[in-house]
Amino acid sequence: MRRIPQSCIAIALLACSPLQAVEAEINVYIPQIETAQYYRPYVAVWIENAEQEPVKLVALWRKEPDWLKDIRRFWRKLGRSDAALVDAMTGATRSPGQYRLHWQGKDDNGQALPEGKYTLYVEASREQGGRSLQKIAFELNGKPYQLRAAALEELGELVLTIK
Amino acid sequence: MKKLLLAAIFTLSSQSVLAHTLWVMPSHFVLSGEDTWISVDVSAANMTFVADKGVSPDSLRIIFPDGQSQPFAQHYQGKRKSQADHQLVAEGTYLIENGGAPRYFTLFEVNGERKRIMADKKAASSELPKEATKITTSRSQSKALAVVTVNAPNRTAITPKGEGFEVNFVTHPADYVAEDTIQWQLLVEGKPAAGVKVELSREGELYRNNAARIALESDAEGKLQFTPEYAGRYLLEASYQANTVTALADNERASLTLTFEVGVP
Repeated sequence: MRRIPQSCIAIALLACSPLQAVEAEINVYIPQIETAQYYRPYVAVWIENAEQEPVKLVALWRKEPDWLKDIRRFWRKLGRSDAALVDAMTGATRSPGQYRLHWQGKDDNGQALPEGKYTLYVEASREQGGRSLQKIAFELNGKPYQLRAAALEELGELVLTIK
Repeated sequence: MKKLLLAAIFTLSSQSVLAHTLWVMPSHFVLSGEDTWISVDVSAANMTFVADKGVSPDSLRIIFPDGQSQPFAQHYQGKRKSQADHQLVAEGTYLIENGGAPRYFTLFEVNGERKRIMADKKAASSELPKEATKITTSRSQSKALAVVTVNAPNRTAITPKGEGFEVNFVTHPADYVAEDTIQWQLLVEGKPAAGVKVELSREGELYRNNAARIALESDAEGKLQFTPEYAGRYLLEASYQANTVTALADNERASLTLTFEVGVP
């Protein structure tokens, strides 16, 4: 009987545990909007698990705390309850253009997420403008793929690439 | 003769206000940020959220996330609606309540004429004329409610006290979202109130032909369910009456209105 090398056993264990490295790229697009007074949108990018619980806040671009509540779903799901996370992840609002965000498949505590179904959300709210919510249902299963969500008024096409 | 005429007019005008629905309308239901202010409108009106008569804001109170109750810092009584402002310093859920103490009135008949005095049974026994017949005393209480949350919600201010006609907010108002089911439970003296008729209306009745009001009835456990199709502001109106005999009254009526906001999903 051939002895199975210890390294093979280790790899086999890794393959079915959650500890695979995930390399994901999220392409968020803020559209150019021609208007008399343009304000850069407040944008939140986050991931929820199958139970619709937020597991990872990927990005938050905003200015005043008073308007954070206008990123409606983000506010309800995580913004209002986790001030520390909001502070840690807050970045300035961004001008129209394409933005590439990276995600290693980990939750807010830096732990790798188990295989399963998740949803990526991107929500944008613009002063004197509209609010758009994009979502992409995806699966962490070790396979690479690319998914898209159609452009909306306040957000261009969203692309999720799992490498 | 003039005195009787004036009395009649007074009775009519107070009756027309009673026929109106009293609601409160906060400027915001959800707030982020610190040391933020809230303005609350109060009006007695027929059409949902279309102001008609400005009632006194004296009995408007705000209950803080720690359960403390306070009158509003600033208020003004207007002709069409009244307004009150307060600064919301603490994080959590606030209850805005416009409600008075219960009112008692006794109906009786003298020489074939029906009359009314504002008195409970005990007071009436000494105030009524000797020839009075067909005496009944009613207890009446009404209140208008709204719930506002600053940052993370909590439940202290909205937990029922077990007194009078109350709403148990099974679903927290900060979580009301279109296409999701909202649950309430109606209580009287802390016990589930079954079979209470409730009406739900959505703002904007003036701008559509069909008001599209929804009639509901609380079930055996006093529970109500509503799945709103649209986001927006709604008014829940509930009233009940019972022939509860106490030392002060022979029957009672209580009504409440709840102004709430349903968010986008």
